[in-house]
Amino acid sequence: MSNDLKTRLKIAKTKFKNKNPSDKNNEKSSFGKAFQLSTELVSAVLVATIIGFILDNWFDTKPWLIIIFFFIGVAAGIINVIRSAKKMQKE
Amino acid sequence: MAANPMTQFNVYRIGPEIKIGEIDISFTNASLFMVISTITILLIFNFGAKKNSIIPNKLQLLGELSYSFISKMISDTAGSKAKPYFSFIFSLFMFVLFCNMLGMIPYTFTVTSHIIVTFVLAAFIFVGVTIIGFIKHGFGYLKLFVPSGVPIVLLPLIVIIEIISYLSRPISLSVRLFANMMAGHTMMKVFGGFVVSLGIVGGWLPLSFSVALTGLEILVAFLQAYVFAILTCIYLNDALNLHH
Repeated sequence: MSNDLKTRLKIAKTKFKNKNPSDKNNEKSSFGKAFQLSTELVSAVLVATIIGFILDNWFDTKPWLIIIFFFIGVAAGIINVIRSAKKMQKE
Repeated sequence: MAANPMTQFNVYRIGPEIKIGEIDISFTNASLFMVISTITILLIFNFGAKKNSIIPNKLQLLGELSYSFISKMISDTAGSKAKPYFSFIFSLFMFVLFCNMLGMIPYTFTVTSHIIVTFVLAAFIFVGVTIIGFIKHGFGYLKLFVPSGVPIVLLPLIVIIEIISYLSRPISLSVRLFANMMAGHTMMKVFGGFVVSLGIVGGWLPLSFSVALTGLEILVAFLQAYVFAILTCIYLNDALNLHH
């Protein structure tokens, strides 16, 4: 009986090992990764533009700060994307 | 069946109107589903932890698996220093997961499809992580905004960019969860509407699409809860192990 269990365990373990090169798992996480990258790019632009808008209202410099901060936001977004892409490659 | 695919996101009051000053704090359907998901989590894990048998029953297995899943995720992404925050990340993950999953049942309300809910969660994480960073490193935490090896001329620009990239974290965290949930549920409703309007002749194609979408949405519901938790771990890692 115990012998039977052992062989069955062995079979199950080898099956598990063969399955382990996780194709499905990879696919799952790449969907999440794609979405993560896109939101990171957009959110940095959004935050920077809002900051520019507020500062413009403060200093009465419409529309210069909003334009400047928009481009800074784009830069920040690209840096965000590069960073998280690097982090993903490490994994 | 409602023709408008957005009516499923309506928040309405249940029971009496309660007001404190100008603020309306009445019990709504959104609060109802938050309470339901919290109670479901509590019940599952209470019953799962009641009998500590060596051969676990299904509930206990569920509890043990989710415990080891989250614990492995934390130690992988944030290291051993993040162990004290296990309970927070575990509850966060479970709350988001159950809100997402309960929303998959027909006639329920998806709490996480509202930006305010996800934004409040993300804002709490953001403020909490920032406070933890300042407690652990003092003002040295500000070094996070000053990457090493940057020429002095570029430094002001880089610092502004770094600050914006730091401030964009709660936005990207909350928008991701909210947009995924809302887009998915809207899409399901739209395809459901196609089934009704095309009738018995042409309705089969959108019906099969709906079935496939339901599977995809369950995947997304789990995945987004996972991404939410893992990003919290990553931010926590930045605060605990300062390196730049």
